[in-house]
Amino acid sequence: MNTLLIARNTFREATRDRVLAGVLAAGLVLLAATQVLSPLALGEGRRLTVDLGLSGVSILGLMVVLLVGTSLVAKELERRTIFNLLSRPIARSSYLVGKWLGLSSALWVLAGFMSLALCLVLATHGAGSFAPGVAEAAYLTGLELMVVTALAVLFSALSTPVLSALYTLGFYLVGQWSYDLRSFGEHLPTVAGRLVGMIADLAPNLPLFNARAIAAGGHLTSLHHLGFATLYALLYAGCVLSLATAAFESRDFK
Amino acid sequence: MSSWAERNPVRPNSIQPGPGHGPAEARLAVRAAGLTKLYRNPWTLRVTRGLEDLDLELERGEVMGYVGPNGAGKTTTLKLLTGLHKPTRGEAWIFGQPVGSIASRRRVGFLPEQPYFYDYLTGREYLELAGRLSGLSGREAGARAARWLGRVSLAGVERRRLRKYSKGMLQRLGLAATLIHEPELLILDEPMSGLDPLGRREVRDLLLEQRQRGVTVLFSSHILPDVEMLCDRVAILLSGRLTRVTRVSDLVDAGPQRVEIRCEGRPLLQVPPRIAPLIERVEHPGETALVLRAAERLNEVLEWLIGSGVRIRAVTPQRASLEELYIEAAQASGENGNPERRMA
Repeated sequence: MNTLLIARNTFREATRDRVLAGVLAAGLVLLAATQVLSPLALGEGRRLTVDLGLSGVSILGLMVVLLVGTSLVAKELERRTIFNLLSRPIARSSYLVGKWLGLSSALWVLAGFMSLALCLVLATHGAGSFAPGVAEAAYLTGLELMVVTALAVLFSALSTPVLSALYTLGFYLVGQWSYDLRSFGEHLPTVAGRLVGMIADLAPNLPLFNARAIAAGGHLTSLHHLGFATLYALLYAGCVLSLATAAFESRDFK
Repeated sequence: MSSWAERNPVRPNSIQPGPGHGPAEARLAVRAAGLTKLYRNPWTLRVTRGLEDLDLELERGEVMGYVGPNGAGKTTTLKLLTGLHKPTRGEAWIFGQPVGSIASRRRVGFLPEQPYFYDYLTGREYLELAGRLSGLSGREAGARAARWLGRVSLAGVERRRLRKYSKGMLQRLGLAATLIHEPELLILDEPMSGLDPLGRREVRDLLLEQRQRGVTVLFSSHILPDVEMLCDRVAILLSGRLTRVTRVSDLVDAGPQRVEIRCEGRPLLQVPPRIAPLIERVEHPGETALVLRAAERLNEVLEWLIGSGVRIRAVTPQRASLEELYIEAAQASGENGNPERRMA
């Protein structure tokens, strides 16, 4: 119950923050820009619109995580608002999960709103058949943002907003290139190769959530893939939040 | 003359740690045994003492003032009791529940020093959130939020975002949030700091009201007259160590007794040598005050004044203030308000 109350409050905080409104406006500008560029794409205008529109959802969502998520807990510690919460009968784990859930919900709303706008643009160009693919890709992007938000909460609970933004971005980039990194590690000497492989294994498998090219081609991903990605996202986020709770549990609030 | 600290030596500690369900726990709201907090700088590994071997018992319905200079360990104690800090050693219980457990915080209302709030929320939203997080249902939290907003004179601004509230308004809102779930124990860190006289009076009235309701209160303060007025007992903390826990009335009775004698005009007086060291003369517009530091010599002084033809306007006994006694204790321990924490 307390988790949901904190999630609701975090959702309110994120949606009343100017960052989210700014990002949403930037998303709509990006969508408008695709309409200017699509006639130049030599018959690939729809593909370009879908690809750029969905990339926008992912990148702008990442910006919200970096700007809001990485200071989610650190800001509360710095401004000492956390005293008013954790002196009440609330478990520290509930607090962290609530923070994650609240920002994730705001990101789902952002992803939902932007993909809806994208579908409307496609429909006006008679490309409504792309909508199911766009919905699937947006769903997977939402899952990806949930995973990155969990990392942001972990780092935010342990360090300053700037450092946690750097760590989160680092994990995001390693996660995006985890396949390439693993292949690269295979060509290195044993110890270095194992180390690179370990880093790639620890980072989230973010390519799993990228269905933008499939949606841009007008195709759908399999239900099995969607189910697996959902399970992976929940498990990965669960592990990261457990780690965050373990570190947060023994912390003194000054 | 012996100092107040010499006349009132530290009581030997007799509190034994133990699980929190005995007869003592039915009587006690707070119990601490050997509670210690040491801070280690992660870079220099230097250890500083926040609080050392605190043994404290607070009975249900009692109001205790927690006084001491900056860095004495007052806030550390309150944070340990509310689970915001983890003790290095020792244990403490609130209503028999070990501190740090969620159960120990169910019946507690905590107001941190200079409380900060979510400035994107309105006053009403904040109180509702505070109520719900303390276990109230949505409907009950809404009703109590409305009631408390009126009680702390914020009903007219309940829909205004907190970033537009003044410091005094925020302090009152913080107090309302602390009280919204009707806790049985109030832990308040400097509840009157930064308030104007009117705000202080309002907070004082609220605390007196809670006291009448039988709520146990533990609060730290630098404003000693407030502590003197509100508290049953006072605990003095110096350099992370509890120096004294005693009844306010005992402290005051144990202090020096003085009498102020107000006389008309500015009489030219030759004070007899036998009482001269006991009298301090203070000139006021149109009158003179003589402060006699030994109340038992009052008759002798009055006889001398009347015999000298002085017209006496008033004779007022003066109690030693807690402030004087506190400063005396601090000086006796060599503290002198030194804000630095001592090395452990």
